[in-house]
Amino acid sequence: MQKATNTNTNAVALHNTHVKLLAFDLLSLTQSPFPSSDATTSFFRRGIPISRVETVGTITLRDLKHDRFLRFAVDDGTACVPCVLWLNDANSPSVARRRRHELAARFAALVKLGAVARVRGRLSRFRGTLQVTVSDVAIERDPNAEIFHRLDCILLARNCYNILPPPSSYTPPQPPLPLPPPK
Amino acid sequence: MASLEIKSGALVSLQDLRPSSPFFKQGASLRITGKLHEYSIETGLATIIDGDDILKVSTKHLRDLTFQVGSVYQFIGELLIQPDNEGVLQARVGRNVDGIDLNLYHQSLLLLRQFQTNHLNNPATM
Repeated sequence: MQKATNTNTNAVALHNTHVKLLAFDLLSLTQSPFPSSDATTSFFRRGIPISRVETVGTITLRDLKHDRFLRFAVDDGTACVPCVLWLNDANSPSVARRRRHELAARFAALVKLGAVARVRGRLSRFRGTLQVTVSDVAIERDPNAEIFHRLDCILLARNCYNILPPPSSYTPPQPPLPLPPPK
Repeated sequence: MASLEIKSGALVSLQDLRPSSPFFKQGASLRITGKLHEYSIETGLATIIDGDDILKVSTKHLRDLTFQVGSVYQFIGELLIQPDNEGVLQARVGRNVDGIDLNLYHQSLLLLRQFQTNHLNNPATM
């Protein structure tokens, strides 16, 4: 029974991890019909909550909107993942937000058509379409990076994500039955 | 988002692009990888090979990409089928992938197709 507790904890722990997913798998995540006070728990894969993802692919679209945000698409050969990188904190009174803007501006400069990027971020929805609100961009120069990511995603799905029971399926261990009274 | 207007380039090997293949369709968005066999600066046409298979790639929309015969390249674009039934990939993205493990690349395509088929047939196990 202890094992069930561990796998269940893992399913919950996945919620705070950048989960590696292929684009077609990522875009097929379902959203909870019930709005949650914690918006990060609203996306599910086989009942397992996922809030953050990691994708690797070729940038096939780049669209800077009024210097407020950058929209781009990452194509991993299975689908295109829509991504948004916010750039609207340049004049914020908050030092932390201005620093975050500097970092985002640096990421935006890396996003070029044809580059292979490793993108991490939080799942969100815009006009009914799932997208990734970007927190991190790294350019991959290893020509095998996409292959390794593809294999990682397949192995993780088969050996990890697919075998985790959803948190709701966990039932706590029952107390032992009382011993029959001695004869 | 505009990305929905841009189709994903399906991962294919040149072997998958014979006229009998389901990928050999007018306007199909594809991603292909192979060795540069020939390149014409005048026409912008590159000839890519992988084993015995060959494909012409139009590179006129590409910028900042230098072509070197013998190097390995990867292109994403749309397939244009000519009246003589020859396919030409109209590339919108291209890059040099010298150092790529082509055996591992082909193996990963097979694994990916199995995985996607499994997903379509049994989404509950995904």
